[in-house]
Amino acid sequence: MTLADRNELRQPSYGEARGAAWLAAELRDHLWPWGSGAQGGRTSLRLAGFGLAVAATIAWILTALGHLSAGAIIGWWFGWSVLEVFVRLDGKPYVKEGPWWGRLYRRASLMDMLCYVSFKNLLIGASLFLSLKAMGLLQL
Amino acid sequence: MFSQRTLRRLLAPLAALLLTSAAHADTYEIKLPPELSSSPRLCDYAPCSEVLPGATSFSERKGQPSYVEGYRDDAGQKTKVGYVMLSTDITDIPAYSGKPVVTLIGMDTAGKFTGVKILKHSEPILLLGIPESSLVKFNNQYLGQFVGDNIEIGKSRPEENLIGLDAITGATVTVIAQNQVMMTSGTEVAKQVGILKPVIRPQARFPISDAAPSWANLVADGSVQHLVVKPEDLGLKGDGRPYMDLWFGYLNQPTIGRALLGKDGYASLMARLKEGEHAIFIIRTAGMDSFKGSGFVRGGIYDRVQVRQDKDSFTFRDLDYVNLWGLAAAGAPAYDESAIFIIRGKGFSAAYPWKLVFLGNRIDKETAAKTFANFDREYWLADSYLEGGRPEVIKPDPTWLKVWKDKALQIGAFIVLLLGVAAAYANRDRLVRRSSHKNKWRVNAFKYTGWLLSIGFVGFQAMAQPSITQVLTWFHSLLFQWQWELFLSDPLIFIFWIFIIVTVFVWGRGLFCGWLCPFGSLSELLYKLGRACGLKRFQFHLPQALHDRLKGLKYAIFFGLLAVSFFSMGLAEKLAEIEPFKTTFLVGLLNRSWPYTLFAGGLLGLSIFTERPFCKYLCPLGAALAMPTTFRWFGLKRKDECTKCKACAKGCGSLAIDTKGNIDQRECMLCLDCMVLYYDDHACPPLAQERKRRDKAGQPLTPIDARGYFIPIHPAPARSATEEKHS
Ligand code: SF4
Ligand code: SF4
Repeated sequence: MTLADRNELRQPSYGEARGAAWLAAELRDHLWPWGSGAQGGRTSLRLAGFGLAVAATIAWILTALGHLSAGAIIGWWFGWSVLEVFVRLDGKPYVKEGPWWGRLYRRASLMDMLCYVSFKNLLIGASLFLSLKAMGLLQL
Repeated sequence: MFSQRTLRRLLAPLAALLLTSAAHADTYEIKLPPELSSSPRLCDYAPCSEVLPGATSFSERKGQPSYVEGYRDDAGQKTKVGYVMLSTDITDIPAYSGKPVVTLIGMDTAGKFTGVKILKHSEPILLLGIPESSLVKFNNQYLGQFVGDNIEIGKSRPEENLIGLDAITGATVTVIAQNQVMMTSGTEVAKQVGILKPVIRPQARFPISDAAPSWANLVADGSVQHLVVKPEDLGLKGDGRPYMDLWFGYLNQPTIGRALLGKDGYASLMARLKEGEHAIFIIRTAGMDSFKGSGFVRGGIYDRVQVRQDKDSFTFRDLDYVNLWGLAAAGAPAYDESAIFIIRGKGFSAAYPWKLVFLGNRIDKETAAKTFANFDREYWLADSYLEGGRPEVIKPDPTWLKVWKDKALQIGAFIVLLLGVAAAYANRDRLVRRSSHKNKWRVNAFKYTGWLLSIGFVGFQAMAQPSITQVLTWFHSLLFQWQWELFLSDPLIFIFWIFIIVTVFVWGRGLFCGWLCPFGSLSELLYKLGRACGLKRFQFHLPQALHDRLKGLKYAIFFGLLAVSFFSMGLAEKLAEIEPFKTTFLVGLLNRSWPYTLFAGGLLGLSIFTERPFCKYLCPLGAALAMPTTFRWFGLKRKDECTKCKACAKGCGSLAIDTKGNIDQRECMLCLDCMVLYYDDHACPPLAQERKRRDKAGQPLTPIDARGYFIPIHPAPARSATEEKHS
């Protein structure tokens, strides 16, 4: 065990799911920052999160249509990432402990969440950015 | 209160650093007049006479690529004394920053360099630390050298006719690029003006064949090639169309020529050509601009396309143009612009590879300045189109490969060091089990060897200290323009980063920071030496609560640098001087102005009294690596009792173990002290308790299992009477 305090451990949201179901649940976990059911989090934060997520999605679409510059989309993505940290801390306050193929989670501190969101969004942002660039849709 | 004071103390030298840095920024990112790259009168905007001493007047730009002639006034008579060229008119080779160093170069009529002047550079490394005068000194090495000589960075090798130039310590990539710029620019002009004669290559002979390949066949066997330039490559806004979509091919080869032009078309074209002349065709199937341009109307030169073979280039004048009336090959695409160009240079041979080059101008969004950008595509007739097949061609190694070959031994030793440390760490369980709280030499032997080698060999000798500036540069290159060659030019840093990225994900930042970072190692070594020299009573750790607050500072610094880098890479690089690495290893503590020396020396001095102050609170690189460490795959072990026991936490020099016994992997340096304790039945309290209990009860001490507990003693079940009977 890499944690001394077992109270820090969290159950995986996908329970016992294996194979494709597990992968789908993981994917949903990474792409959908809002918690569900009773642990859904505070309504105000959820609404603010939804609002900014829609705006950030529109920003990506505008970028793909050539209406937003590289600098602007980086700004939007950064802004959304900051809010996502709080949305997740509110609704899904956990991060994985150990290898990504494992099933152990732990309670996320603010720093854990910051690291998780910045790293995940760096990967998502860079992939979208580079795909748009490769398709020649990005104004540099 | 205390933290504020500490902060102020830490930031004061930084401010001083920034103030003094301005002095070095003479040509860094200065705004050059746009006419410099566009006006025919180059020397009205550039100090041409400084690079061509003796010249009092200059011609307008001429030639392709362009240069100017410089004249001396001999009693009213103009005598040509040499040539002046602007590097960005000729080549777009970028330096470390990804941008070219704009250089004005003078050369006399005998082909010897007479002067070199940097007009603008974007090299952060020259902005701080290494004075710009080093680049001037480097450039002065060219004075008097002949442009046709073999000049490279490194040691001279007279047996290979190689003239070596001294590199600038710590700016190898910059000077390698600068050498390419100097030699390419000089050679291009020297060839145009006849100082360098073109290489004469044996002409190709073509086999007779009745084949009539279709367009698709010609594309498949490489007889027709495709060159595409995207608008983004030129800094233009894209609308989904390519900027230039060209197909081209060589027409003298009878099978190809007849297939493309038809029998009659081929015969009439060949009838026009004299011996040693060659024809190529170009068609444009899509694009936003003309490949012929309008230069040929004004100056009689087609200034957008060129053929290059090795170091020789062939430009086309209006007399070299022939109409292409149509393409006969089945399946040829529709096109809206076409040409047949005749290559008249004697040096050209179709037996050898050549390139069609599209010469474009890249427009800088911010400054609107145009810089030269060329795009090329190689063409080489297939074996079956050449009598005797393709001749053997030995291509010179690319520059980065030469660097790798030159440093092969150093690279080998470095890889051995990295693998050795990784192997030692991978075997940590064995090492810590054989160590004890009082005697840790089995772990330390490896770790201290790693430190000494990383300080001496990696840091001071090879100057391969990784830096946050590399992270920023890569981040920007990844998003905007990735250049493998650039990163490959510094092999040790390149290998180090691959190692760092892999090990951060497998074990966390601690393997690099705790075992291999030259500055980190030096810093902790000083702490250990201080202890060994009797300074233990002066050594201290900050209180945990204060430490927990201050450790966030390094992340703020990292994010600050990242944010600033989006607005100005130059400023981010300046601010990255918060890393004392350049002062310590690249330039030397005694070779920099006092604020830098004071800052680096102060941090190292402080390290004698408190463990790794820079790593814990300031290092942006450490922060950048700590963040992905959150997801390291294999962490250190903990047992349930660790929640209440404080033994490990007390011994953790990195203050990485919290009150509940959990390890903050982002702060942990993987020193393994707590892992030694984990298995030590004389030091780990729950183990020691169990050991004593068993001693008292007269029970044997079983081995300690992977979870860190004595293997439990299960009394063997008594055998039953039936079992007894059967045995
Ligand atoms: S924190 Fe910085 S200086 Fe310290 S070991 Fe890590 S990279 Fe090196
Ligand atoms: S004592 Fe343990 S937790 Fe602390 S730095 Fe060393 S290995 Fe990491």
